[in-house]
Amino acid sequence: MASQPSAVQTATRDAETQLFETNAGIPVQELYSEADIQGLEPGRDLGQPGAFPFTRGPYAGMYRTRIWTRRFQVGFGSPQETNQRIRYLHANGANGFVITIDLPTSYGFDSDDAIADGEVGVTGVAISTLDDMAALYDGFGPDQVSYALSIRPPISSVTLAMLACVAEDKGVPLEKVIGTQQNDPFYQMSGGPLQTITKFFPLEGTLRLCLDNIEFISTRMPRLNWMVTNGYNLRETGVNAIEDGIFTLGHAFDIYRMAVARGLDINTFPRKASFFLSASIDFFEEIAKFRAMRRLYARVMRDQFGATNPECWRLRFSVQTAGNTLTTQQPEVNIVRAAYEAMAAAFGGAQSVHLCSYDEGHGLPTEESSRIALRTQQVLAYETGVTRTIDPLAGSYYVEALTNRMEAEIRKGIDDVGARGGMARAIKDGWLESQINTARYRNQDKIDNNERTLVGVNRFTIPREQEIPVKVHKLRADEWGAARTEYLRNYRASRDEPRWSDAVTRLEQAWRSGQNMVPVIMDALRNRATMGEINEAMRRAQGRAEALR
Amino acid sequence: MSHKRRLLLAKTGLDCHDTGIVTVAQKLRDAGYEVIYLGLHNHPDEVVKAAIEEGVDGIGVSYLSGQHMPQMRKLLEAMRKASVNLPIVCGGVIPQEDATALKSMGVAAVIAPGTMTAEILSMVDQALASHAAR
Repeated sequence: MASQPSAVQTATRDAETQLFETNAGIPVQELYSEADIQGLEPGRDLGQPGAFPFTRGPYAGMYRTRIWTRRFQVGFGSPQETNQRIRYLHANGANGFVITIDLPTSYGFDSDDAIADGEVGVTGVAISTLDDMAALYDGFGPDQVSYALSIRPPISSVTLAMLACVAEDKGVPLEKVIGTQQNDPFYQMSGGPLQTITKFFPLEGTLRLCLDNIEFISTRMPRLNWMVTNGYNLRETGVNAIEDGIFTLGHAFDIYRMAVARGLDINTFPRKASFFLSASIDFFEEIAKFRAMRRLYARVMRDQFGATNPECWRLRFSVQTAGNTLTTQQPEVNIVRAAYEAMAAAFGGAQSVHLCSYDEGHGLPTEESSRIALRTQQVLAYETGVTRTIDPLAGSYYVEALTNRMEAEIRKGIDDVGARGGMARAIKDGWLESQINTARYRNQDKIDNNERTLVGVNRFTIPREQEIPVKVHKLRADEWGAARTEYLRNYRASRDEPRWSDAVTRLEQAWRSGQNMVPVIMDALRNRATMGEINEAMRRAQGRAEALR
Repeated sequence: MSHKRRLLLAKTGLDCHDTGIVTVAQKLRDAGYEVIYLGLHNHPDEVVKAAIEEGVDGIGVSYLSGQHMPQMRKLLEAMRKASVNLPIVCGGVIPQEDATALKSMGVAAVIAPGTMTAEILSMVDQALASHAAR
């Protein structure tokens, strides 16, 4: 994938050795000219914004019509506390929220489960019941505010069912519900994917629920976006931009093939598909990656999947700046890193952007650091003028040459993964894990031997005592855990036991019969089954009854 | 030292950020340690049990999602109960204040993100040496 070291030229000037290759190892020439984009046909390869092959952007008008969504990440403690915070931010003009979920919920455990001790409400909000989801939407209809819950199958089937119930209870027709349903069965968790996705739920069951969600959303909730690949978390493991494109799109195409095999229509279900991508620090490489992925996606969807609906050719993505490029040392410099990364996202044509907070190396973001992150992209959107014209770097010899190269490398890699049996297979047999680990060691070596400069870490360092102290987010895990335990005790005590028990039995039967689980989960939620109980019932139906604690 | 030094590395609790610990495990192996990596989602009791069975010289853990204090309390308690006396090195996103608290609880070293491999190795060496000298 990476170029041979022999192709790399180094030159010395002002006693500095520079490496003329991108982070993914693509050699970079001293100068680019017309000769480097020979064969590029603007009509065929660039097109118009909003038209095939979407290189210049997924929508006509782009930021002149609507600036990207400045996403605000929120989620801590109880649903009530999180809702209060959302109300405050909404009153101050934000209408799109990424809602982070605590780890017990992410893995399918209620807040009062023994495994949740010390983890409740820490990395995000705890959601165990239908009432918890209703509390998140207190004051808003799900047709008014857009939430993207950071959660994956199997649990995202439960939160999707909760969302549908909340809409029904508020009298909002399902076809009017907005937001983003994250639905990536593999990459939602941070870290190597295999162990963390198979530890608490069988992989085949996770894939089945992923397809149940796609089927339910595409037939019942046509305005709801659903995220195909969480390429962000995947990239955060340390893989490079080319691998990012290969694994992200390769995974999506794999899921699409499974959906088609289930009988879903390729001209319908990908309409609201979306991606979540990382913008890393190698500025032009990231821009080229975004443009190349959009073009490649369009070509594969039209020419290989045979989609004829142009809406199904269009790759849309939200971006978060790369947390793994930030440093613990001299953390205020991270504000600058995130700003450059966000600018690459804007030049790449992102639909929504979220910046990492500068204090990520010290703890979970504080209100102050989140505000600086939001202000940074407001400067980008409203002061720098990058929004004034569409795809301003198109036609640059370098950017177009790099876009061509990225597309070719990603296409080749997807073919290689296809020859291995696809991404799902590559994850199951450990191949992806070994690719990720190779990337991790490679990255550390580059920093250790100064091949890659990390300002404040391996160059331009200062003594520890000169570091500016960082305010730290206060966690109240013990308090949150105790309050949630008490809440769940009352919740369970106040339900009709036979009706609850019948609903749980229906869950297991439905699992075995292979029907779509989302409506069945809605029924269980209405009979006051908790998220953890629903998850356990589905696990039991797959013969995994043992306590996984 | 006569025998090849053995270390047990593990993640406990639900945090699944493993890039750092997996990389450090490999770097320690490259430096001549024998490293047993238990992977993700271990209960502290399982870590202590493995440490006894494998006869290791030290334990390494990491936390990046804010659960380092409760998880470390559990791990140290499990060690006390099993009368296991080994140096512990903790890496990850640990606020300064908590790093100080962890050290006062008996953690031999706390390694921040962005620490170069050479420094990590010398911190581990030192943690093992000063524990042995006690």
